[in-house]
Amino acid sequence: MSAHETYLLDRAVTENSHRLDTYRAAGGYETLEKVLKDPVEPKQVIEELKDSGLRGRGGAGFPTGLKLSFMPDVEKDPRPRYLAINADESEPGTCKDRVLMREDPHGLIEGILITCWAIRAKASYVYVRGEYRHEYDRVAQALEEARAAGLVGKNVLGTDFSCEIFMHKGAGAYICGEETGLMESLEGKRGHPRPKPPFPAGFGLWGSPTTVNNVETIFNVPFIIQRGAAWYRTMGTAKSPGNFLCGISGHVERPGVYEVPLGIPARQIIEEIAGGVWKGRELKAWIPGGSSTGLMPASTIDTPMDHDSLKEAGSMLGTGAIIALDETACVVRASEVIARFYDHESCGQCSQCREGTQWLYQVFSRIEHGHGRVEDVELLESLANGMAPGKTICALADAAAIPTHAVVRHFRDELLQHVELGRCPFDGNGGEGTATRREPAGASA
Amino acid sequence: MTTIQINGKDVEVDPKQPLIHALHTNGCDVPMYCYHPGLSPVGSCRICQVEVQQGEGPSRVVVSCRTPVADGMRVFPDSEKAHDVRRECLEFLLKNHPLDCPICDKAGECDLQDYSFAEGQGEGRSVEPRRKLEKRKSLGDVIVLDEERCILCSRCVRFMEEVPKTPQLTVADLGARSVIATFMDRPLTGKYQGNLADVCPVGALTLSAFRFQARVWNLTKTTGTCGECSRGCSVTTEVLRGGELKRFRPRYNADVNTWWMCDVGRFAIEEHSLEGRLVGALVRGSRELEPADPFDAIDRAADVFTAPGHPVVIASPWLTVEEGERLRDLAEALGSEVHFLSPPANDLADDLLHTGDPCPNRRGLEGLGFSPIDAEAALELLSGATSALICGERIGALLGEGLGELPEKLRLVVLDTMPLDVPAVRAELGVPSSIERTGTWINVDGHAGKLGIARSAPPGVAPLVQTLDDLVARLSTTATAGGER
Repeated sequence: MSAHETYLLDRAVTENSHRLDTYRAAGGYETLEKVLKDPVEPKQVIEELKDSGLRGRGGAGFPTGLKLSFMPDVEKDPRPRYLAINADESEPGTCKDRVLMREDPHGLIEGILITCWAIRAKASYVYVRGEYRHEYDRVAQALEEARAAGLVGKNVLGTDFSCEIFMHKGAGAYICGEETGLMESLEGKRGHPRPKPPFPAGFGLWGSPTTVNNVETIFNVPFIIQRGAAWYRTMGTAKSPGNFLCGISGHVERPGVYEVPLGIPARQIIEEIAGGVWKGRELKAWIPGGSSTGLMPASTIDTPMDHDSLKEAGSMLGTGAIIALDETACVVRASEVIARFYDHESCGQCSQCREGTQWLYQVFSRIEHGHGRVEDVELLESLANGMAPGKTICALADAAAIPTHAVVRHFRDELLQHVELGRCPFDGNGGEGTATRREPAGASA
Repeated sequence: MTTIQINGKDVEVDPKQPLIHALHTNGCDVPMYCYHPGLSPVGSCRICQVEVQQGEGPSRVVVSCRTPVADGMRVFPDSEKAHDVRRECLEFLLKNHPLDCPICDKAGECDLQDYSFAEGQGEGRSVEPRRKLEKRKSLGDVIVLDEERCILCSRCVRFMEEVPKTPQLTVADLGARSVIATFMDRPLTGKYQGNLADVCPVGALTLSAFRFQARVWNLTKTTGTCGECSRGCSVTTEVLRGGELKRFRPRYNADVNTWWMCDVGRFAIEEHSLEGRLVGALVRGSRELEPADPFDAIDRAADVFTAPGHPVVIASPWLTVEEGERLRDLAEALGSEVHFLSPPANDLADDLLHTGDPCPNRRGLEGLGFSPIDAEAALELLSGATSALICGERIGALLGEGLGELPEKLRLVVLDTMPLDVPAVRAELGVPSSIERTGTWINVDGHAGKLGIARSAPPGVAPLVQTLDDLVARLSTTATAGGER
């Protein structure tokens, strides 16, 4: 394993890492105290974050400091302002925020408090994915501790700064991880994304200025404020500084969540950190950052894991959740599973997404189960073109279209092979099996 | 005003309205499903996409219903790119649509059908079976939902929330499984449900009263005014061949009803039934009322009014201003006062459209000097008189059974839509109903509402204005003849 500086998971691996005293013993909440009492002006905090080059870890990779600076001037706009934390981690393959919430909830709370100070928010909402019961409890428990210690609520640490943090449990809808869908859901409505503009910074929660940030993004904030932007830039690349949490799953020997610097080649993560492809097999395909970023052929694993390099390679860093597929896996089957997810999770507002996600699933399913037609490959591409980019209210249609484009671009032969054979070549029973991984036809004999 | 360029032509547009409004008011027929000018825009159907260029940057495709206009914006609603994205969108919309236009009540006035006809590709690329959902789900007494036809534009949901402010509809479930539903399948309530069938751009929400009643292209549409309250909503009167009234639909009028009308007016169909109508004229024979030539009936009426005394004149509240003028002149000549029957306010008033006042022309008639009178007072007045004229649509019905109790010495002349067989009647002539004549009603706020002739009146029924003119002419000849004597 490569030796690189770490910070994100340093505390998480210690015993009782989720308790306030453990956190404090490790220097926790000192940054908050410094910010509030020194004090570090809110503008300075945002400037520091801008200088650090921190980019959002939720998938889009938008510069965090810039996002915070979109919040209107408090002198000119008297409306209350909110920070919403997106802990609705539901991108398939992604499992990084849960580690932070479960093992280091105080790190998140400190990040929230500093960010609230920076945008002058007096309230923050943590929107936790419904399935994350244990993580929800951990953060709630930490919040109790912090509140009892005067860190959350009225007059934080005896200063004039007051900030309340509210927890909210989602009900498991992927679409509620979209920032405007999340806000609608928080307001008690159906999680239908809102058309933009207006953007959340101008018209967010209950019509007030709001910033929505991912857990990992906010978790980075205290480190940057404490150690400085220059330190932060010593890790990662010039355009994507810092470390990120890479959740790697699929056909590798040691799946898990690892802290790696941005820009690290995917090969290093898969082959060294995660112990390589399991059972001594070859890698066939990999997904760089959650299902929305699409399948990439094994030949591309030297691509550095940062926003710009992956974009150049025709994909995205997304949530940095790698999924590895070995040589026995069927990419059509994988695409069918991915397409089914988007069909299930489309909110149904926009015509192209509602009908298109279902259609994509139907076509992939048909091909996988031996009923494909040669023209289906072209159909897939044309449907994906009809859905994205930017043709719908939110990016869910894009998220379904990108993997479709990817599989047509990189694995056209395998799609056509399915059509010609009239069955899945990776399956003895013609693809009528279950979602479980299968042995190749020859090996199972 | 803001200046934008549409297809290379500079136009002045309202900066407060979205781009789609500017396009529609400048002759660009951009399709729309989720957008409705009377509802908040959500931009979800994505069919109204157009190509837009601002400054020197590259052009973008935007949904025109959610795009504000900006000075110098160049819009290309008919560019190849714009047509392409709309065609793509249309294909998705049709993916699960049953295309059962031959049995759909909306066919002929369906936005989806029209646009598919104009731009659709003629052949679907989907080989998958279409969604199987409920085809006839009752949402109460007024509306039937066909879930398969629904394109989930959510206009109905927003209508219920924003117009009558009685949110009862929602989109249930997710993605392609979404359906329009009420909470626990409870029936819809309220008296604005009929508008749901109008706002629905497809045949998903239809009026149960109109289901399978007519193909809309067989309906003759005439502009008119609703007569069920003093709001006087602008409507379109739609009749089938043979004159059968099939529908009232609201007609946009910014000053009166905007896009809507209430169910009380919408379903006032029976009031205009041709069944049992007074056709031609009746006069009292030796005992019975007997069919007569209208001229003879006018003669008989003139005889009644030339006798000494001042006849009581009571008009129907449905009288138009034009008819009221004639009646007032006649009454003046006879030395009589004019009254109009004003039933008490009903409990249908709301803060949206219905005023609760059943007199559609109260302001018009009062302006002409008619004084309101209720049925009880009217009957009392009549029972003390020797001659009387009751005049106008539904007047007999409004005065009610008390008419039968009137003394036989009262010589009553009736001008009504329905025959009235009571002992006091000496002569009666048919009048057209308010969908069979022209004229003006003045509504509660002083706005004029025009009546239009949606069908001809039954045989032998002349416009009331003409009947009154004939009566005046006949009386003046009698007077002249008397003078000569």
